[in-house]
Amino acid sequence: MATDTLVTISLPKEKQSSLDRFLAKGFPTNKWEEWKYTSLKSLNDIEWNWNTSEQSANSAALALENTVEIQTQNGKMTLKGTLPTGVEYLDFASFAAQKPEFMRTFNERNPILDQNSLYDLNDALASSHQVIWVKKGVKLDKPILHTYFASVSIASAIQIKLLIYLEEGSSLTWVDDLASSEDSKSILSNYVQEIWVSKNAHLTFVKTQDFGLSTTHVDHTFINQEDQSLVDMFTFSLNGGLIRNNLHFYVDGEQVVSNLNGLYVPGNNQLVDSHTVVDHRMPNSESNELYKGVLLGNSTGVFNGKIFVRPDAQKTNAFQSCKNVLASDKATMNTKPQLEIWADDVKCSHGTTTGQLSDEALFYMQSRGISQDAAKTLLMLAFVQQVIDKVEIPALKESISNRVVTKIQQALGV
Amino acid sequence: MPLFRVNLNKVWFRKIYGFNFAVNYHFKNKRMLSITNLHAQIGEKEILRGINLEVKAGEVHAIMGPNGSGKSTLASVLAGREDYEVTDGSVSFFGKDLLDLAPEERAAEGVFLAFQYPVEIPGVSTTNFMKSAVNEIRKYRGEDPLDAVQFLKMFKEKMAYVNIDQSLLSRSLNEGFSGGEKKRNEIFQMAVLAPKLAILDETDSGLDIDALRIVAEGVNKLKSPDNATIVVTHYQRLLDYIVPDYVHVLYKGRIVKSGTKELALELEEKGYDWIISALVD
Repeated sequence: MATDTLVTISLPKEKQSSLDRFLAKGFPTNKWEEWKYTSLKSLNDIEWNWNTSEQSANSAALALENTVEIQTQNGKMTLKGTLPTGVEYLDFASFAAQKPEFMRTFNERNPILDQNSLYDLNDALASSHQVIWVKKGVKLDKPILHTYFASVSIASAIQIKLLIYLEEGSSLTWVDDLASSEDSKSILSNYVQEIWVSKNAHLTFVKTQDFGLSTTHVDHTFINQEDQSLVDMFTFSLNGGLIRNNLHFYVDGEQVVSNLNGLYVPGNNQLVDSHTVVDHRMPNSESNELYKGVLLGNSTGVFNGKIFVRPDAQKTNAFQSCKNVLASDKATMNTKPQLEIWADDVKCSHGTTTGQLSDEALFYMQSRGISQDAAKTLLMLAFVQQVIDKVEIPALKESISNRVVTKIQQALGV
Repeated sequence: MPLFRVNLNKVWFRKIYGFNFAVNYHFKNKRMLSITNLHAQIGEKEILRGINLEVKAGEVHAIMGPNGSGKSTLASVLAGREDYEVTDGSVSFFGKDLLDLAPEERAAEGVFLAFQYPVEIPGVSTTNFMKSAVNEIRKYRGEDPLDAVQFLKMFKEKMAYVNIDQSLLSRSLNEGFSGGEKKRNEIFQMAVLAPKLAILDETDSGLDIDALRIVAEGVNKLKSPDNATIVVTHYQRLLDYIVPDYVHVLYKGRIVKSGTKELALELEEKGYDWIISALVD
């Protein structure tokens, strides 16, 4: 078994208990309810290097003007350039020493729902555990760009953990440009982000995932929101052998707004699984979830969207929508909206659709001289544009849009 | 009629450049569409049962008939809708086998169908839709694509035909349009694509009298000796505005009577029964 080598690793006490929890459970398989359509069982067959020190270079990284960049190469995080005043980048231990009272709150936060074994594995073995700390009232007008790239010559597990802490009244745009090389040996990319958005703070988080086929990427994003805070979250899953996104919002304040936007375009032999949770614990807040998928080739998509409205969370508005287009007969989409509502004075809605492009629309376009493939491309782009258009960074929007167009055109052989 | 065309038919011109050149250049009275013994079915149900029709450049033909007679089917088969299976007969368009072409190729050859129910395309504006269409057709014809400036100029010119507003063209195609807006948009598209053969499928349905007049005026402005129009309609009303050269009555998948525009008036007055009862079928 691949995990056999882990047994011999010796860790500090807390990390050791995380590792033991992972070892007791192993990689998720589809016998687990939360992993019904996405088994990681095959990861057992690979002899993993658990602590890679290989160098990698990302030549195709996203270029955004006037941004400070943090690079992660094969799990090693480095700050490039200088952060603006009021923002700090430091390791977790130093941060914890400086902010003991926050750490108490943080450690007493609501337990992680659907905690899975890979979170424990990350906790035990993460090669970097860094913190981005935006101080009180500091509003950054330029995004911080995190370019994460992996490429290895022997099968490797790459794991990092990040804490993003926004103090009261601050604002941050964070861009996660996640990628791996197409010709790399197997990669298990296991990425945890813990995010704290204090009162009146505003976070925009745009994540693009553009991995090679040999990459299995598991993303864990946990967001705690205090009163009057706003989070705009975007997840663009463009490429990768297997991508599993766990995105959890803990609405622990009033007048909180949580926007969850997702777009996935899996192609041949790719799987994208989006598991989202919005946990409304306090009254008068709002969440809007919009996920769209175009499934190409023989790809598989999974959407599981949970919304909890706890008894105290009266006057909650929670909306969820997941729409999918199957662009091929061989593509599969599994959707499961899951709403659990204990409060009685709330507005909640959910809807999932999975369909094919309308023949009527295609014929209409063809009758105007547009070839069937061009018509399909146009319709699919129009379908996904709604999500892409919400990104407010023009260069990033264009980059995402171009990658989606190229992918669709390649799949159609245009 | 532009002056140079008149000159082309002058005897001295023919002598210099050859007879054929002059005649071919002038489309008037040239055979455009020949439908011969056309049979088509949807599933097991035969809808067209031997249609014969000749359309020449410069002509306007009206196809009339009671509900279920096959009018819209004929329009759809000509445009290439896949739901219908052609079981017999042929359709030739400028000598080419039309039935052999994909819908987009028919469009590029110059066939245009104005839909009875224009389809809503969320997320695609009319402007972008037409840019794609024009440049795909230009590609088919081996022409260079138009650039943004050329499009702007062309769209402005064509918008005047149907008195359509820029704001409508920027919206998602047909999404939330009124019946009148949809039909005007169809005629705008027709103006942009400048087809040789325009087929108007029940363009009058769902239109009030003002919208009907605007649409009809647009169609009339686009008429030239080089193109032809087939108007499919249930009522005579539209033919007050788009005056046909020929009127054909379709019944049970066949053309059972043809005549001039007076036939349409007679139908308006007497209905279809007198024709049907006269048939020895």
